[in-house]
Amino acid sequence: MTLQTDNRSRFEAIWSDHRHQVLAYCLRRSSSTDAEDACAETFLVVWRRIDEIPPAPKTLPCLYGIARKSLSNQTRAFYRRGRLQAKLTNVGMAPAADPMLVVVQGADDKVVTDAVRRLKPVDREIVMLDVWEGLSRAEIADVMGMTRAAVDQRVHRAYQKLSRALQPVLEISSLNSPPIAEEGGT
Amino acid sequence: MTHDQIREMVRRVNPIPDPSTLEIVDVPVLTTPLERRTEMQIDDRPGTEVPVDRNRRRGPLVGITAAAMILIAGLVFFLTRDNTPVAEPAPDATNLLGMDFHSIEPGAYFVDTDGDESTTTGGTFVIESEWSGFQAGALKETSEDGPYVSLLIFEVDEVWSPACGSGINPQPAGTTAQDLADQFAAAGFTIQEAVSPVNAFGQSGYHLVVEVPAGCTGESHSVWEGPTWGRFYQAEGQVVEYWFLDVEGTPVMVETTRFAESSDDDVAGLRAVLDTLVITP
Repeated sequence: MTLQTDNRSRFEAIWSDHRHQVLAYCLRRSSSTDAEDACAETFLVVWRRIDEIPPAPKTLPCLYGIARKSLSNQTRAFYRRGRLQAKLTNVGMAPAADPMLVVVQGADDKVVTDAVRRLKPVDREIVMLDVWEGLSRAEIADVMGMTRAAVDQRVHRAYQKLSRALQPVLEISSLNSPPIAEEGGT
Repeated sequence: MTHDQIREMVRRVNPIPDPSTLEIVDVPVLTTPLERRTEMQIDDRPGTEVPVDRNRRRGPLVGITAAAMILIAGLVFFLTRDNTPVAEPAPDATNLLGMDFHSIEPGAYFVDTDGDESTTTGGTFVIESEWSGFQAGALKETSEDGPYVSLLIFEVDEVWSPACGSGINPQPAGTTAQDLADQFAAAGFTIQEAVSPVNAFGQSGYHLVVEVPAGCTGESHSVWEGPTWGRFYQAEGQVVEYWFLDVEGTPVMVETTRFAESSDDDVAGLRAVLDTLVITP
């Protein structure tokens, strides 16, 4: 009984601390319906495997890892149902992509989004974990099941590709941006 | 363009910059987790677990079946491993595509160098235990941060020159094995063994051994990119041995890496893999 109570308390603490981050993680990579399903599934796994969930600071990377697998399962389901192509056509991104990703503010942002989209799937996930989830390289290695060296290499490769794709945007932005001294003038 | 600039641009398109603003209306598992876990039948989805009660019921049968399968698989592996000819392409080689950075079982593996599944162009080799998939090849590392040895087999599209410098300066790769060898020899590495003709892995071509010089680390060191993967990072002190092979007019590159600190066992393991490597058109 005490053990059950402890588990419930721990589960509730994990839910309270991380539910927003996990849902955000799923929403960034999937439609809202799929994201809610994946989020629910993630916490279902947490409940069932509460003893295996590591304490902070490794809790959140672990949750991301579970959510990633849940989303991956959904992607496979899309393949099976033959709906993936339609989804890809509608969304214009990789499987389980997020329609929100195409809701961008300007042409520059679309170039950035497209550049991220064109990365290899694993590289794209690493970039998202790095920039959007704000994980450290070691935490990314935990989520992805890779070594730290592998993550370093992947990150570097992804940024090289992004750099090539985004260089024109940076140049245009630089041309359009007034000098800082003038901006702060009157 | 710096990494920070890129990160800032990617950060700007984050669709949910502040997760705390999300409204979580209903997450069913939280209401009655014990009940929901059976209702959702999560076990019907691939890659998820069977609920505990059903697992218990199926336990003995699953265990016996699994044990039988493991025994059969072990027997098959044992027989096929012993019969795998050295320096002959293994017909049942597993394509390494998609096994990047995942542990791989001992056995024969195929690297598709041109990324075209309709052709057989590539390399086949046999590995023993403790190797992982690594881009278009395999890697063995004794610890996460320790020195590793690796084998990669590629066609090359672009070569960065100088390889160890700031900025991104890709050049079209040489169209012959010799051109490619000369390109890599001039890329700014410390040359340990100059370009020389060689016959290796069933093909003729050119051999080159270089060492990544001191100060050549991290993002300042780019090397090359191919249709399937690219190589963007090498650590200083790493010894890279290349074979640039002429495979019916197409240059194919075999690259091995090791460190001065690599153990004798790892280096011997790498050599053993090379002894089984066959490059096919």
